[in-house]
Amino acid sequence: MTREIKVWDPMVRIFHWSLVAAFFFAYFTEDDFLSPHVWAGYAVGGLVLFRVLWGFIGSQHARFSDFVRPPREAISYLKDELKGRAPRYIGHNPAGGANVIALLVSLAFTVITGLIVYGAGECAGPLSSWLCNTPEWLPEAGEEIHEFFANFTLFLVVLHVAGVIWSSLLHHENLVAAMWHGRKRIEEE
Amino acid sequence: MKEIQKTFTPLVIFLTLVMTIGLTLQACAYEDDDDDDEGFSRFLPARMDFRPADDPQYREECGACHLAYPPGMLPARSWQRIMSGLEDHFGENAELDAQTARHITEYLSANAADRSHTGRAPNIARSLGVDAPLRFTETRYFLRKHHEIPPRLVVNNPDVESFSRCEACHTGAERGDYDEHQVRIPGVGRWDD
Amino acid sequence: MFKARALIPFFLLLGTTVAVADRRAVLEHYSATAENAPSAERGRMLWNKPGIRGRDCTQCHGNDLRQAGRHRRTRKPIDPMAPSVNPKRFTDLRKVEKWFHRNCKWTWGRECTAQEKADILQWLNTL
Repeated sequence: MTREIKVWDPMVRIFHWSLVAAFFFAYFTEDDFLSPHVWAGYAVGGLVLFRVLWGFIGSQHARFSDFVRPPREAISYLKDELKGRAPRYIGHNPAGGANVIALLVSLAFTVITGLIVYGAGECAGPLSSWLCNTPEWLPEAGEEIHEFFANFTLFLVVLHVAGVIWSSLLHHENLVAAMWHGRKRIEEE
Repeated sequence: MKEIQKTFTPLVIFLTLVMTIGLTLQACAYEDDDDDDEGFSRFLPARMDFRPADDPQYREECGACHLAYPPGMLPARSWQRIMSGLEDHFGENAELDAQTARHITEYLSANAADRSHTGRAPNIARSLGVDAPLRFTETRYFLRKHHEIPPRLVVNNPDVESFSRCEACHTGAERGDYDEHQVRIPGVGRWDD
Repeated sequence: MFKARALIPFFLLLGTTVAVADRRAVLEHYSATAENAPSAERGRMLWNKPGIRGRDCTQCHGNDLRQAGRHRRTRKPIDPMAPSVNPKRFTDLRKVEKWFHRNCKWTWGRECTAQEKADILQWLNTL
């Protein structure tokens, strides 16, 4: 009989799936319908801020100290994964952890550049009082950078999904389900 | 372990590649969808940059000679300046009887940029500060949005002639949709920046 | 059996008759206070008279009043003036008065007199 333990607390799980929804909604609405896109962007920003905070004060496996490793460890773990002999981690493994950090950073830059474009180009949003009526090059450059980070985030998401599938297969478990109900099996001694 | 590695490593790498390429191709597929009518935005409600003018008297009187400009394009104080100078309305006589003039002034003021919460109107109001321009085409907001367009495509284009003729290029103007992807400059084609 | 379609010419005739009746009423509104009977010839000369600052009526209405005109600045199409092509013309007193007020002031820098309006309408009604 397999015993399970709780790994991902409710806050982490709600954060994760809310972020998926908000990011993809923002990605697909673009500037075709600016208001929903902007609100989704605010949601992404808030969620990222929460996760950073939770990374310091949250449950065990939510904390950065649990899974953030030097790059050399992440790379060697990745090599072991591809060779099929990587150890199983209850929380984020070093490669996954690196991906999480990269995602948070990329999302943060996406949100920040979005706020700049919105404030400078549309004279709207929290930065509007500072950026309204700036020369045109600022919102235009900002828009290019904003698009870059949005697409880079998507690329990181693709890697993330690939890694999740790969680890699930390698260790015979369903990591997607684990992020939903929060539990993983304990290895029998 | 080796068996899993043999079977699944190529599979996962393949799936990752498929996803990346698939998303890129999807983005490319809509690359030449210049009027944005084939993508996800199809399923969203039509965008409304300005709520179109919907007062029948305003549309009849003021739309007789030019586009019935959305009230959200200018702040109330601008509309009041315009309505108090109809005898010389940009070089034309546009006088109205007192009752009609009052009604239209009230409608425009009530739906002006500084009284509106929809679309771009509040952004325009914010960018104007306390200014009361007579022409939307002279606002900084407008100029920044159109600064890349060479005058020869508009002012020297016999099918357009003036930036004040929004509907000449903005094919969705009557609906309040000023999406740059719907712009078609007569004699030139789609605007692509 | 009696077909509803047969009524169409009747309604067209009725509509035209009503329009003509309205047009006559509008003309009479001005000729009532004019010194002389309305003259189409005087009306034609008034229409073609150049105004202030190089302005004249053809700049918006064009040279052929059976065709649509165009606002000289906004390029907005203006329905033809000729009642033979556009039967609704000059049947609404409020509209006629509004445009006389604006366009006389714009073209000649002053209001038109009742005589001038009657003459012009008399001429336009022949087109």
